[in-house]
Amino acid sequence: MVKKINSILISNRGEIALRVIRACKEIGIKSIAVYSDEDVRSIHVKKADEAYHIGPAAASESYLAMDKIIDTANRVGAEAIHPGYGFLSENESFAEACEKKGIIFIGPNSEALEITGDKMKCKAVMKKAKVPSVPGSDGIIDDVEEAADVAHTIGYPVLLKSAFGGGGRGIRLANNEKELRKEFEMVSTESKAAFGKSALFIEKYLDRIRHIEFQLIRDSFGNTRHLFERECSIQRRHQKLIEMSPSPVVDQKTRNNVGEIAKRAADAVEYLNAGTAEFLRDHEGNFYFIEINSRLQVEHPVTELVTGVDLVKMQIAIAQDEEIPFKQDELKMHGCAIECRINAEDPFYEFSPSVGAVPDCSIPYGPGIRVDTYLYPGCTVSGYYDSLVAKLIAWGSDFEEARKRTRNGLYEFTIEGINTTIPLYKTIVDEENFIKGELSTDYIDRFNLMDKMHELTKKQASMKSSAAIAAILLQLEFAKTGGPSFQFHKAKPYSNWKRSQVNR
Amino acid sequence: MEFIVGDTNEAINAEIVHSLGKDSILIKINGKEHSIKLLKSARDEFEFILDNSFHHAKILRSTTAELVVLIDGQSLQVKRHSKLTEVLEKSLSLGKVAVSQNNLTSQIPGRVVSVVANIGTSVKKGDSVVILESMKMQLGVKAHKDGTIKEMKVQQGSTVARNDIIATIE
Repeated sequence: MVKKINSILISNRGEIALRVIRACKEIGIKSIAVYSDEDVRSIHVKKADEAYHIGPAAASESYLAMDKIIDTANRVGAEAIHPGYGFLSENESFAEACEKKGIIFIGPNSEALEITGDKMKCKAVMKKAKVPSVPGSDGIIDDVEEAADVAHTIGYPVLLKSAFGGGGRGIRLANNEKELRKEFEMVSTESKAAFGKSALFIEKYLDRIRHIEFQLIRDSFGNTRHLFERECSIQRRHQKLIEMSPSPVVDQKTRNNVGEIAKRAADAVEYLNAGTAEFLRDHEGNFYFIEINSRLQVEHPVTELVTGVDLVKMQIAIAQDEEIPFKQDELKMHGCAIECRINAEDPFYEFSPSVGAVPDCSIPYGPGIRVDTYLYPGCTVSGYYDSLVAKLIAWGSDFEEARKRTRNGLYEFTIEGINTTIPLYKTIVDEENFIKGELSTDYIDRFNLMDKMHELTKKQASMKSSAAIAAILLQLEFAKTGGPSFQFHKAKPYSNWKRSQVNR
Repeated sequence: MEFIVGDTNEAINAEIVHSLGKDSILIKINGKEHSIKLLKSARDEFEFILDNSFHHAKILRSTTAELVVLIDGQSLQVKRHSKLTEVLEKSLSLGKVAVSQNNLTSQIPGRVVSVVANIGTSVKKGDSVVILESMKMQLGVKAHKDGTIKEMKVQQGSTVARNDIIATIE
């Protein structure tokens, strides 16, 4: 039975809060924002139907404070909570607390979140469901002899990983048994020093890998659909920078095959709502499951543009116990979409955070351009939260059209006051290997993109030097005369052209 | 007047020739004449058509020695070049270095998560002195030279802005 949701509290901020607010407005659901001290002037507060203050700037006391958020939801009568991505979106205790209070959590239930949040548990479930993972040990390795056995079976080179690591830490490469024995000792010692215990596992080392993921949706009737793939190989330090759909290396047959595997993964954990199955693809074309991201993802617009499915509205429909209204074979992939994550980081200074006031900005638009952002002229980029300030998504009938529209968008996008990753993306869109689709997770280093960015910036500086000097001359003249020394013809307050348009 | 744009070492000569009446001006860059049609003019913001292309410019910073110009969204550093400024720059920067060479400044804004090296600690160039957090990233502010921490200007929990002095190292 459909349980109509009348109000949704969005326990998030920034562009994703705005994205959910827009979906609510389309459906006619009351949107309720929450905000920290730092976000009083943020766009999600302005655009929501209602907004409630929940605490100080630190996320732990606001957007991560479960009790405050659930209390607020109860107090103001929110029937559901949309967690966005990050913050509490994959927190099983939060989902459970919502369930207990009778609030609909727009996402999977707490049991599924518990499995998907535990890499080892998830891997075990997937093995049972015949979802291929990266070859490796079944769980924690106890001693170096066992490690050597496993490595021998799966073949060298292998990676030794600490179960407590993450983000690239606690990972060692071993090319042969001698190295393995040495590294095993090292990682064990490190792990014991840092965490008081050692828990290592082994995985096959995959060279020149691509990160390819499948968008999934599953409703409360057990219907599962995949909404094709997204290639997210352009990364820096395991952070995705550019995503696209389709992947240049996925043909229809592969899409169907891996899509079915992804659906099996969702069924295995009795997944509910929208999620993503992430895979690694080696250069031989093998796909290995790595994890399920149990939330709406940053890069979801890419899928929305090529499928025509509004994923946030779909999430709400599924949360209302509606059935997915289309069959797998009714879904068609249309054109190509590319997303650039515009981060407030200085690519010329080791990607260090760049925060502060944005006195002015100009957001691109035009054919095929979509921008999801919390920026507006006069806004502030806070250092308390994530560095993602905007997503530029371009759609085209094919990759080339999408690429050129992305390029247009990047060159039209100006953000004053902060440094962003835009110069790097301007370099990537015209880089030959990107154009050829020759991608891998080490793309940025492999093709020296940082050097290429410096070259491009230098070239552009010399192209703009005359204009910059002209501006300086104008300012000198201005300063000399204390005001505009040049006569202006005043623009008419109302142009005839505009008037004729209004009267049409 | 002479200018050096970005990190090119070429000096570019430029001057205003004369007004062409209305809102048009004639300028000369490296001996070549260009016409400017001014569309908008404020103290540090200009919109103009140079030859046949539109440009939007904001003067973000301006000192005797250099300017930062945001031209069509791209920020460019332009040095004013002359024998006089060269001499001035040299003497100024020499004086500045003498005072500031002990100061360790932060290149990024953030909150101090922890102080790694306390007063009296000897550090080597490149050692982390304090750890800053900004946008969920933790970054070390690294000693710019070998020495001993003489003064610590921040403590755990302090907020620092870009170019704030973190510590002095002697």
